[in-house]
Amino acid sequence: MLFNSLTFIVFFAVVLALHNAPLPWKVKKTNLLLASYVFYAAWNPPFVILLWISTLLDWRVAKRIYAEQRLSRRRAWVAVSVLVNLGLLGYFKYGEFLLENWQALMSAIGVAWTAPDWDIVLPVGISFYTFQTMAYSLDVYLRRAKPADSLLDFALFVTFFPQLVAGPIVRPTQLIPQFQEPVRASANQLLWGLGLMTLGLFEKIVIADGALAPAADAVFGAAKPVPFLDAWLGTLAFAGQIFSDFAGYSTVAIGVALCLGFSLPDNFRFPYAAIGFSDFWRRWHISLSTWLRDYLYIPLGGNRKGWHRTQVNLMVTMLLGGLWHGAAWTFVVWGGLHGFYLGVERFFQRQFGGAKIATTFGFKVFLALLTYFLVNLTWVFFRAPDFPTAWRMTRTMLGFGLEGSELVLSTYLIAVVVAVTVGILLVHGFMRNRRLEEVVASAPWWLVGSVWAAMLFLILIAQGSGDAFIYFQF
Amino acid sequence: MPSSTSSSESEPVILRPVPELRWPRVAVVALLLAAVGLGGWEAYWRVAQQYEASYRNSDGQWAEVRRRVDAGEPNATVFIGSSRTLFDIDLDVWKEATGVHGIQLALEGSNPLPVLSDIANDDDFRGLLVVGITPPLLFLPGIGHRAGVLEYYYDETPSQRISTRLSYPLETTFAYYNIDTKLFTVLARQPWWPSRPNLAFQQPEVRKLEHMRRDRQADLWERVETDPEFRAIVTGTWQAILENLPPPPPEEVARAQFQALLDQVAGNVAKIRARGGEVVFIRPPSSDVFREVERKITPRERVWEPIVGAAGAVGVHFEDYPALSDVRTPEWSHIAAADKARWTRALVGILQKVMTERGVHRPEVGS
Repeated sequence: MLFNSLTFIVFFAVVLALHNAPLPWKVKKTNLLLASYVFYAAWNPPFVILLWISTLLDWRVAKRIYAEQRLSRRRAWVAVSVLVNLGLLGYFKYGEFLLENWQALMSAIGVAWTAPDWDIVLPVGISFYTFQTMAYSLDVYLRRAKPADSLLDFALFVTFFPQLVAGPIVRPTQLIPQFQEPVRASANQLLWGLGLMTLGLFEKIVIADGALAPAADAVFGAAKPVPFLDAWLGTLAFAGQIFSDFAGYSTVAIGVALCLGFSLPDNFRFPYAAIGFSDFWRRWHISLSTWLRDYLYIPLGGNRKGWHRTQVNLMVTMLLGGLWHGAAWTFVVWGGLHGFYLGVERFFQRQFGGAKIATTFGFKVFLALLTYFLVNLTWVFFRAPDFPTAWRMTRTMLGFGLEGSELVLSTYLIAVVVAVTVGILLVHGFMRNRRLEEVVASAPWWLVGSVWAAMLFLILIAQGSGDAFIYFQF
Repeated sequence: MPSSTSSSESEPVILRPVPELRWPRVAVVALLLAAVGLGGWEAYWRVAQQYEASYRNSDGQWAEVRRRVDAGEPNATVFIGSSRTLFDIDLDVWKEATGVHGIQLALEGSNPLPVLSDIANDDDFRGLLVVGITPPLLFLPGIGHRAGVLEYYYDETPSQRISTRLSYPLETTFAYYNIDTKLFTVLARQPWWPSRPNLAFQQPEVRKLEHMRRDRQADLWERVETDPEFRAIVTGTWQAILENLPPPPPEEVARAQFQALLDQVAGNVAKIRARGGEVVFIRPPSSDVFREVERKITPRERVWEPIVGAAGAVGVHFEDYPALSDVRTPEWSHIAAADKARWTRALVGILQKVMTERGVHRPEVGS
C-alpha cells in the first residue's frame, strides 16, 4: 500500500481509530500487527509468508543464541539467520543478476550456457526488513541486546507498517521497548505527526513526482546524447527527485508512527549541505549507513587495522552498499565511487586536516559545493538504465560533449529544475545545523499554519500519479 | 558512511520532540486555508473553464472494465481501438439495437493490436470483438499513449484496485480532479514559456476531450464543439503531431514489418475464431487535415484493405457508407456527441447486413 494512495488514507483512519479505542494494549498491538500484514498484503498477499519466515526464524535463532554459551554454537546460529535472510534476498533480488553474470562468465571462457528464465517478482521492501531482522539476531549475538520477551512485540518490530517497506531501518533496541508499555499520541503529537505526513507527501507528490521527475526521465530516457546543459539539469533533477522521494517516504513514516505514539529515528539530515562524504553519509539514509557501519564495516575491522586496511574496508562496505540498492553493476559503481570519495577524503584529512583554511566559511561553502558536484556524478550511475547511458552522460557533464546531441528540456522544465534545485540547496544550507522541530517552534503559529495549508493545497492540486516510491524497488 | 571506530553500544529509543506551538489552532488555520484555496481552484475550473466532474479514464477503470471479459459475459461484445472507437461508439444505442452492453476497451492515442493479442490469448473471450482502426496508430511501437495499461491490468495490486474505487466519488464530484488540470500539466502548457531553439519535438499534451462514464462510455466534450478557441487548441495539437510524425523506415523494412503485422492480426483472429468468437474491423471517420494526412501516409488500399483481407474478416469503412460519413467531426478526429447515437445505430445496421451477407451469424449483433 502506498502512502500516496487513497487506500492508505482509509486504512490509516481505521488504524488510528482502533489505536485510540478503549482496548487493552495487547489488543491494540495485535491490531497494529494485523494492520501491518494487511498493509504489506495490499501489494501481493502471498509475500506475507516471507515476513512470517523472517519473523519466526529470527525469533527462534535469537533465543538459541542467547541461551547458548559455546561460541561455536552461537556462531552457527547467527550464521543460520544471516544465511536465510540473505538467501531470501539473494533468491528474490539477485537471482537473475547472478545467473546473467554466470552466463557472461561462462561465455567469456568459451562455455555455451544459457541461463534459465528467472521470472521472479521482487517482494517490495525485502531489502529493508531482512536487514532489520538480521540486526536483531546480530545484536543478540554481539550481546548488544536481549531477545524480545514477547513474540507479538518482535513480530510487530519486524512488520511495523510505517517503516516496513522503505525504512528507516530500525534497530530492535529502538523500537521493541516502545511496544512494551501502552502508548498513545497526545493531541500535539498527533497533529505534528499529521504535519510531518503532509511534508513528506509534499516532497513526494509535488517536488519529486510533479516538479523533477519529468526532467530526469526526459534526460535519462533520451534516445540520443543530450548536450551539457541538459545532462546537468537532468542529473540535478534526479538528485532532487531521489532525495525528495526517499526523504519524503521517511518523513511520512516518522509522522505516521508519531500519530500512533511511536518515535522513529531520523533518516535524513539535509544531505545536500554536507561538507565532505563522511558528513554526507551521516546525513543520507542514516539508518542504512549506520547499519552498514555496525554490521559490516566494524566487523571487517573498521579503521583499527591500519590505513590500507581501512581503505579496503571502506571500499568493500560501499560496494556492498551499492549492490544493496539494486542487482546491477551500475549500483556497484555508484557505491564504488562513494568508497573512492571517502578514501580520498581520508587521505586529504590526514595530509591537510589541520590547515587553517579548512575552518573558514568560504572554504566550507566551496567544499559543500564540491561534495554536491561529486555526489551528482554518482547519481548518474544510480539513475542510468545502463552503462552506455551512464558513460555518455558522464562524458557530457565533464565537458566532453558528443556529436549529434539533441536538446530535450523545454524552458519550462529548465526553469522548474533550476528553481527547485536552488530551493533545495538553500533549505539544506539553512537547515544544516538546525533541527526541523526547532525551526518550526521558533516560527509564528500563523506562518506554520499557512505553510501547512500551502503544502496541502499543492498536494491536492498536483493530484499525483500514484507512482511508487523509488526505494521500493530496492 | 559514518566512520566510528566501534559501536558496541546498542541504539537507544529516541523520543521525538514536538515543537512547542498551539497545534489545534495551527491545524484549523491550515485546514481552512487549504479548503479556501481548493474551493477557489475548483470554482476556477468549473466557472471560468466550464469543466465538469467526470470519470478520469484511469488504468484502474480500464482494468475494471477489462475484468468483464474474464467474467465470461454471455454474448460479450468488446470494443478495442483508439479514441475514435472510444468516443464514437454509443454503448446505450448499441445495447438498444443489439441487447448487449458492450465492453469498451478502446484507448486514446493507442495501437489496438497489442490489446487484440491480449484478447486473443484470453480463453474467457468467445464473443464478438470490434476492432477500430486509426491507420497511423497501427505503426506505433507497442500500445502507444497508454503503454502501461496491460501491465497494470495484470499486475494490479489489491491496494490499487481499492484506490480506483475510492477515487470514483472524487472524480464525479470535483471538476478539477482531472488529468488535464494537474498543477504541473497546467504550468507546462502556459504560453509565457519561451521556446527553446532546436529543441527536439515533444508531443504536446492532448487537452480534455471527453466526458466519461464509469462503463467508459465517452462523449466528445461539449466545449470542443462550442468554444472555437479551445477547438483550435485541440486541432493545433493534432497538427503538431501530424507534422512531426517519425519518418517511415526504408521500404524493405516497412514491407517486412507490415507483413509481420498482417501475420499477427491473422493469427490472433484465427485464435479467437477457434474458440467460437468473431472479429470485425471498423474504420471510424476523420476529416480535414487528419484525413488528408491519413490518406497520404496510410492509404486505404495499402493498410486497411490488406488488414481486413489478412484477417478474412468483415470490415466496415466509413467512406463506403453515407450514413457513417454524414457526421460532424469538430476537431477532425471524433464524432460530435449529438451525432454518435445516429452513427452507432447506422453502424449496427450495416454490420448486421454485411455479416449476414457474408454468412457470419453472430448472436451478439443478431446477424
